[in-house]
Amino acid sequence: MSSVAATVPAAAGGFPGRQWSRGMVISLTALAVLAPILLILYQSLLDAPFFDQAAKPGFGAYRFIFDDPDFWSAAKNSCFIAVGMALIAVPLGAALAFLMVRTDLPGQRWLEPLLLIPVFVSPMVLSFGYVVAAGPVGFYSVWFSDLFGGVPWNVYSLTSIAVIAGLTHVPHVYLYASAALKNLGSDVEEAARMSGASPLRVALDVSLPMVMPALLYSAVLVFFLGFEIFGLALVLGDPEGHLVLATYLYKLTNKLGTPSYHLMAAVAVCIIAVTVPLVMLQRHLMKNAAKYVSVKGKAGRQRPLPLGAWRWLAAALIAGWLVVTVLVPLSGIALRSVVNYWGEGVSLVDVLTLDHFRTVFGQPALMRGIWNTVLIGTIGGGLAVICYTAIGLATHRQPDGWSRFVDYLVLVPRAVPGLLAGLAFLWVFLFIPFLSPLRSTIFAVWLAYTVVWLAYGLRLVSSSLLQVGAELEEAARSAGASRARTSRDVTLPLIRHGLLASWLLVFMIFEREYSTAVYLLNPGTEVIGSLLVSLWATGGADMVAALSVINVVLVAVGLGVALRFGVKLHD
Amino acid sequence: MKSVRHLALALCAWAALPLAHAQAPAGYPSDYAALVAAAKQEGKVRIYAATDTAAANPLIKDFEALYPGVKVEYSDMNTTELYNRVISEKAAGGTSGDVFWSSSMDLQIKLVNDGFALTYKSPEASKLPDWAVWRNEGYGTTYEPIVFIYNKRLLKPEEVPQSHGDLAKVLAANPERFKGKLTSYDIEKSGVGFLLITQDASLNPAFWDMAKAIGAASPRFQSSSGTMMERVGSGENLLGFNLIGSYALQRAKKDPGIGVVMPKDYTLVMSRIMFITKTAQNPNAAKLWLDYILSRRGQTVIANQSGLGSIRADVEGELTAHGLARTLGNALKPIQVGPGLLTYLDQAKRLEFIKQWQQTAAARK
Repeated sequence: MSSVAATVPAAAGGFPGRQWSRGMVISLTALAVLAPILLILYQSLLDAPFFDQAAKPGFGAYRFIFDDPDFWSAAKNSCFIAVGMALIAVPLGAALAFLMVRTDLPGQRWLEPLLLIPVFVSPMVLSFGYVVAAGPVGFYSVWFSDLFGGVPWNVYSLTSIAVIAGLTHVPHVYLYASAALKNLGSDVEEAARMSGASPLRVALDVSLPMVMPALLYSAVLVFFLGFEIFGLALVLGDPEGHLVLATYLYKLTNKLGTPSYHLMAAVAVCIIAVTVPLVMLQRHLMKNAAKYVSVKGKAGRQRPLPLGAWRWLAAALIAGWLVVTVLVPLSGIALRSVVNYWGEGVSLVDVLTLDHFRTVFGQPALMRGIWNTVLIGTIGGGLAVICYTAIGLATHRQPDGWSRFVDYLVLVPRAVPGLLAGLAFLWVFLFIPFLSPLRSTIFAVWLAYTVVWLAYGLRLVSSSLLQVGAELEEAARSAGASRARTSRDVTLPLIRHGLLASWLLVFMIFEREYSTAVYLLNPGTEVIGSLLVSLWATGGADMVAALSVINVVLVAVGLGVALRFGVKLHD
Repeated sequence: MKSVRHLALALCAWAALPLAHAQAPAGYPSDYAALVAAAKQEGKVRIYAATDTAAANPLIKDFEALYPGVKVEYSDMNTTELYNRVISEKAAGGTSGDVFWSSSMDLQIKLVNDGFALTYKSPEASKLPDWAVWRNEGYGTTYEPIVFIYNKRLLKPEEVPQSHGDLAKVLAANPERFKGKLTSYDIEKSGVGFLLITQDASLNPAFWDMAKAIGAASPRFQSSSGTMMERVGSGENLLGFNLIGSYALQRAKKDPGIGVVMPKDYTLVMSRIMFITKTAQNPNAAKLWLDYILSRRGQTVIANQSGLGSIRADVEGELTAHGLARTLGNALKPIQVGPGLLTYLDQAKRLEFIKQWQQTAAARK
């Protein structure tokens, strides 16, 4: 099979038209990714803002952070959280995907949107939910300690942050794994089951190894995200002094009184330096991707695997995870949004109110923010997926230097904490003349979002692409279709589920993104995420709670519609 | 064609004149009507502010009612973003705000000092206290006492500190009770928090003793006042110090569990600094806005609707310079608007102070 795959790019070599569009896609991607990154790298080698006439080159910024014990403690904590997250999120995400896609687990239809909820909510809000629900005087903590005389957990500990981060990133793994599993023929599983293997055995030895590329990609990405964790560490880690790299970077904003860009940039470069070996590792693991090709010309229909008695264990696993990750924080935030105040010794019935929502609906800026958030999720998300697909096709089955270049390229922006990426984009829009009129439009926010989440969207698109058998494309090419025609009539229709899932993911990510848009915030370009940050800073906990409930509801509605649409396409 | 347009413009200006005259308040220069007309020509004023929209809305509405035809484009951001935006936009030479308004007094004075501000003597300047105006460029606009907050449900009345000396005493008397339950700004993350604590250090002779008592209580330092108020309100923390009074009093109105104390030995007073930019695209509208904010009418809105506290002696109300002076008298210590604010923007001095503070007052691990 791999030899067939290798012949396709060779055949494609003679089509200059396609090569031209491919070059175009790759250079645009490179420009969008590298402009802000190079700016950060350049900034890290100066001793003042790069636009300051007095800025001099030097390694002072690195010297400062390497001498700072806080930096090393933050780096250690980030490693701990990243490892913890990957260890928790990957096995659980894979298990969930298997149960949801390949088995007869009851209630899958209504369960699926629930599984994705942790992705909807910005980590800032989620952690606020945990404080309200399970903090020292949280709703559940008080009830629990009334019953048992104390609470065994402490949401502010480093371990709690790692566990919460791990549990909330399960959906990321789940989405990658399930998108891949959906494209997998069920014949091999049936064969294993008929030979007497238990469902667990089938999952571990047959199905999950088949989607190894998706799992590896998601493992690396979850590990990345471990280094990018900001909101959780800010809200939960701050009070007890647990720093991670992103909160250390945030601390540098004010530590010297005026924002120290050079120090922030140096920390960002360190984070990027951690991720590059990860990408190399990932490429090494992915060398034999062709052996996972599983949708072949004769792929049969998928049949769900009967779970038998295992279904109860599976149901308990999912229910437990949902309670901890969704029910606890979201009920906390929902409750917070309808009370005036809360805490030890407050009877909640006496303080119920809808005023917070009334205030939100009465403020034009907040209403504009809600509307813009919807637009950037739906239309912006769709446009982003189109871009990701174009990039995916430009590297699909063309294992040359350019594809390798793009592979490395797309993972870089995710390594830069959103806050700094947003700042870098502000600089790009300020100092590149033809872009500056667009700075105060929603396009700036969209471009920043699209670039920051490039790795996510593209991995989803390309793990679907990997599942398409080369012989299908080969057949079309033999029948005389051009590369473009093959992509349009063979590849794209085959990966439509992957694209839909990708749009869904991108929609949700765009809805909850909170730090990237902060510096691009202007009247007219408000989005809920950046409004939450600014309201949080000025003490508007009431508004934050109400606005995040609105955010969750919006996304839930959007997701419901999308799922119905998706299900119809499926049948 | 051109002459027709000229004629139309002239007619408009003539029509606007008597109206503008009527609007120029007493004591303003006679050519103020020309300023109003020019501002209307500009049609808008762009404001970058670190004051949340809810507090600014009454001001914007009143200003637009007073000067119809001048629209306010208000961008609300935090103090650090504001500073970042301002210096990057200046370097890029593109559009920027006409007026900057921020509670980060030191960064505002740094911007003024670095030549960002337009020199403009507001006709209202004489009505402001001397400490609130610097070089006819930076203007203090609000009067916000710095307060303690506490949880009314959980703290007994005799435990509530009434002064900075009390705070140290209460903490030292009962370190176990307050362990992990005291909150304030993380001075490394919050510029305002740093400014306030350094003001404490210079005003309070027993400052480092107080810091020791604070450290013994394993304080929980936060980066925003919202978090502090939320946690004192819920009872997770019992006591907080160095909170901005305007926010705390508003919160206390909604949450009866929060109590506010203005320390009797000395109460710091913070003032949001406003200045017009040298490169303002709408300089006339910007002047109009600054004058309005400093005017008696604007200050009345600031005190009674925005809840920020009026800096003028001739505005009545509970949260005004006038009202507070009645109860606190000489204990009120306004932070001077001027170059003194720049002391700790010196990197070495700042890091030195942070280090000493961390060693004395940070939570023991």
